[in-house]
Amino acid sequence: MASLSLQNLNKIYDNNVQAVFDFNMEIKDGEFIVLVGPSGCGKSTTLRMIAGLEDISSGRLIIDGEDVTQKPPKDRDIAMVFQNYALYAHMTIYENMAFSLTLRHENPNLIHEKVLAAAEILGLTDQLNKKPKQLSGGQRQRVAMGRAIVRTPKVFLFDEPLSNLDAKLRGATRREILLLHKRLKATMLYVTHDQTEALTLADRIVCMSMGYVQQIGTPLELYDTPANLFVASFIGLPPMNFFDCTVAEGSLKGDGFEYMLNDHEKALLKDYAGKVITLGVRPENIVHGNNCKLNVISNENLGQTTLVHGTIGGHKATAKLREWANYKHGDVVDVAFNGVHFFDKETTNAIR
Amino acid sequence: MADVKNIKVDRMRYTKNKLSSTLAYVAIVFNVLYFVSIYSSNVGNYYYNISMGLSVLCNLVFLLAAFLCSEGIKNYKIGYAYFLIFLSIVQVARIFGIPKRAHGTIITLVEEEVKVMTDKQFTYVIVCLLISAVACLVAGIVGIVKTVVLEKYKKEIGLN
Repeated sequence: MASLSLQNLNKIYDNNVQAVFDFNMEIKDGEFIVLVGPSGCGKSTTLRMIAGLEDISSGRLIIDGEDVTQKPPKDRDIAMVFQNYALYAHMTIYENMAFSLTLRHENPNLIHEKVLAAAEILGLTDQLNKKPKQLSGGQRQRVAMGRAIVRTPKVFLFDEPLSNLDAKLRGATRREILLLHKRLKATMLYVTHDQTEALTLADRIVCMSMGYVQQIGTPLELYDTPANLFVASFIGLPPMNFFDCTVAEGSLKGDGFEYMLNDHEKALLKDYAGKVITLGVRPENIVHGNNCKLNVISNENLGQTTLVHGTIGGHKATAKLREWANYKHGDVVDVAFNGVHFFDKETTNAIR
Repeated sequence: MADVKNIKVDRMRYTKNKLSSTLAYVAIVFNVLYFVSIYSSNVGNYYYNISMGLSVLCNLVFLLAAFLCSEGIKNYKIGYAYFLIFLSIVQVARIFGIPKRAHGTIITLVEEEVKVMTDKQFTYVIVCLLISAVACLVAGIVGIVKTVVLEKYKKEIGLN
């Protein structure tokens, strides 16, 4: 296993489109890093640059102290698991898993032991004589992971490995990947656009947008202290509600509500007196109270909680109430904000 | 898994018997070489009789049977191994059919006596048939040995 150092990585394609801007990160040995962001944000490109499948336009990639920027993929000792499994249809599962080692002319007995050990870890022992088409999507993805495991690479790369699976299987396979990481204690980089995967798997998350790193931190850091509006809106389901409001003396005045500031918040916003800022409130931080009124548009019962969609003043808002409620269109619910985030209206950065 | 011999046998559970299968293909190749060379000499209508038809049929049947055996033995089916040994006997027996007869025959062509099969051609076809026979035989024996070892091992570990 290995540590990685990504230093000022940039990717500029031949048509002058820049996909990744100045990516900097130090990844510790055994860490599970998740790159998350919307489609086209540069996360897969970054992963492919690490794998060597894309040239690095500028910057340096260092694995375990060795500069591998110019090295071909085969010399980087990295294994990659793809979204579409990339299995050989005419080979059995055993042959698929053994293939990379066979190409390296490793001892067949050693290959056998490694394949059986990987199959045992992934619960594929009974499937080794089958062909990929005889397996389910989840099993195929496990085979793809097995093929990576047998190589005992320095770094594992996962490029949206669960995207082709149905929701139930995705959850199960996600847990398997987590167990696999705990068992192998390997350095893993995982790309996804699914924030649930990011929050549940990662030691640290890299949130990206438009080719730029927006924030790097633990899942809790990204959730509790988002660096900017983008991270705040991307992390969390349902997404955070945003309201424009003016900083007044001791309170924030928005359309249809007034939020009373505590001493800490007053200190934070002392330079913004009279200015318009963006107030962010997570749906679970909208609770029953008397600060403002939520005009209900629709109601979604999720069992333990109810999502109430509506408007507060002129802004759309969603509240996640911890009850089974049956509000109807036109109902008015008295609510209050229990935990808020402040963002600079111009820079979109969090005010801290 | 510490025992190297056991690992080798255990590996057979997931790998195919490529050696036997390849040897069966070698037998097919040399049979084809035999077949395309046997009628190549200019000996008028010497070969134009029922034995030529039977020879063609025999070749086609051999090609089909050897191909099926190569696929069967790949998956450790012992019946195909025995059949390959039978095919090796057939290949040897074929030496005493058309090649032997043609080699010992002299015919008159345009007032000139010629051997139906020259010594050189005879040696060539005999070598082809012998290599084909040996390939079948070795493929069959290897197949039998591997299959027996694998079956025994499977019984030992409680499979089958």
